[in-house]
Amino acid sequence: MAESIKLAYFMAVKEGTSYLGGLLVTDTSGIPLDFRYTEPITPTHLQGILYGKSLEPHLKEEVIQKTLLKELKAPPDLFILSATELAGGWSGDTKCPVLAVQKTQDTPLAKAGAVFRVGAREVLLQVADGAAPLRVLFATSVDAPTQEQAILKLLEAGYHMDLAEPLERVAAALQSLVMKGS
Amino acid sequence: MFGKVREAMADAAETLRRAYSGLAVVDVAPERFRARGHGSPLLAIHPLAGLESLEASALTSGLLGEQPLSVRRMDVPRAVLHAESGWARWDAGAEVVRMAPLAARLSQPLALPTLPERVPIHGGVEALGRPVARRLPHALPGTSLRRLSEPLTRPATRTLEPGLRAPAARTEDPGLRSPSARRSLEAALAFPVPIQAEDIQRLPKGLWMRYSLQLVRGTGENVRNLEVLGLFRIPRKGVAELHHDARLGRILVRFEAAAVGAPRIPFILARRKDDGAMVSCFVEGA
Repeated sequence: MAESIKLAYFMAVKEGTSYLGGLLVTDTSGIPLDFRYTEPITPTHLQGILYGKSLEPHLKEEVIQKTLLKELKAPPDLFILSATELAGGWSGDTKCPVLAVQKTQDTPLAKAGAVFRVGAREVLLQVADGAAPLRVLFATSVDAPTQEQAILKLLEAGYHMDLAEPLERVAAALQSLVMKGS
Repeated sequence: MFGKVREAMADAAETLRRAYSGLAVVDVAPERFRARGHGSPLLAIHPLAGLESLEASALTSGLLGEQPLSVRRMDVPRAVLHAESGWARWDAGAEVVRMAPLAARLSQPLALPTLPERVPIHGGVEALGRPVARRLPHALPGTSLRRLSEPLTRPATRTLEPGLRAPAARTEDPGLRSPSARRSLEAALAFPVPIQAEDIQRLPKGLWMRYSLQLVRGTGENVRNLEVLGLFRIPRKGVAELHHDARLGRILVRFEAAAVGAPRIPFILARRKDDGAMVSCFVEGA
């Protein structure tokens, strides 16, 4: 079961006036299976005026994310992004649960695999014994049953890998692509 | 009575005495009537000697050269008194003017004209009539006569349509076009992947015994000389670099493209106790 789980890590960055995003698909060991990225997209001045503050969320969620997801042959099991992006009102897709994984300094839970629900969209997850639990935030589109299934997959993957670490690799890869392009 | 006469005489005498007692002769010093100079000396006439004779001096001039000049001495001008008797002249040629009107028998009565009874009227003021256009008999050279055909023509009127015309509309699609996506697995594989060690205590005891036996066979070391650092599941091939993170109990592995899709098999990382060297081996499926 663990071999079939695919985790998609998404990140979109702003470089100057351009936006570009990357999507890293890993297995439960964190080993890359696929990596896609977009060409930098630069909105025009008129588009910036017309979209206003909704420009950046629209670009990241509707344009970049959907473009990268279309490129994948099969949808990932989990769509993981940063907590900052999720807090910005990410709606996500119902086919793929959207969530964010965040490290904490909280007291470890009773044992590995323990789950403590903080809110309707937030849980604390103990993936390893003795370590600090992970905070998992779900998007508004993820209902409770889907959250339970996603939690099981996270526990399975977290046994072998650091669930929050691949986002750092996506950011580093995008940065290297920007440096390479310039 | 004699007393009264006496008083009268005394009064008369006193009256005469008072009348003539105020008259006194006053001597006036003649110096008061002499002219005095107040702060300035009196004007006086001093006789001057005769005019000195003018003498001409010879002047040299470069224009005349070195020719000698003759110098003449001028005589001293002398004053000559000339006298003329006006009466003698008058007596020689004067003529007494006689005023005719005042001469006897020459006067005649003058007749004064009578004043006119009516003031004669000379001419009169003509009634103002319409001005008569006059033409110049000959036009001045360089000028031309112009005639106005009509007094004033009506100005042309222009109409301005108050309605605003509809401007040309331009459309610009505000939609953001989807960017092109590219695949670059190499970009993702350039960074090491941290892989957590599995908890050996959670493994079945028989399975761990089998793994330990394979470790001894694979490394050739005595099992008592080995310290197991961890059991990891990594791809069978495609491992480019491997580093052990002892603090977090994980390994950092940099993969190659061949690692993608390769089966994950258990991998044991151990350290020799005698020299601290690292040993490792795939324990299953190798």
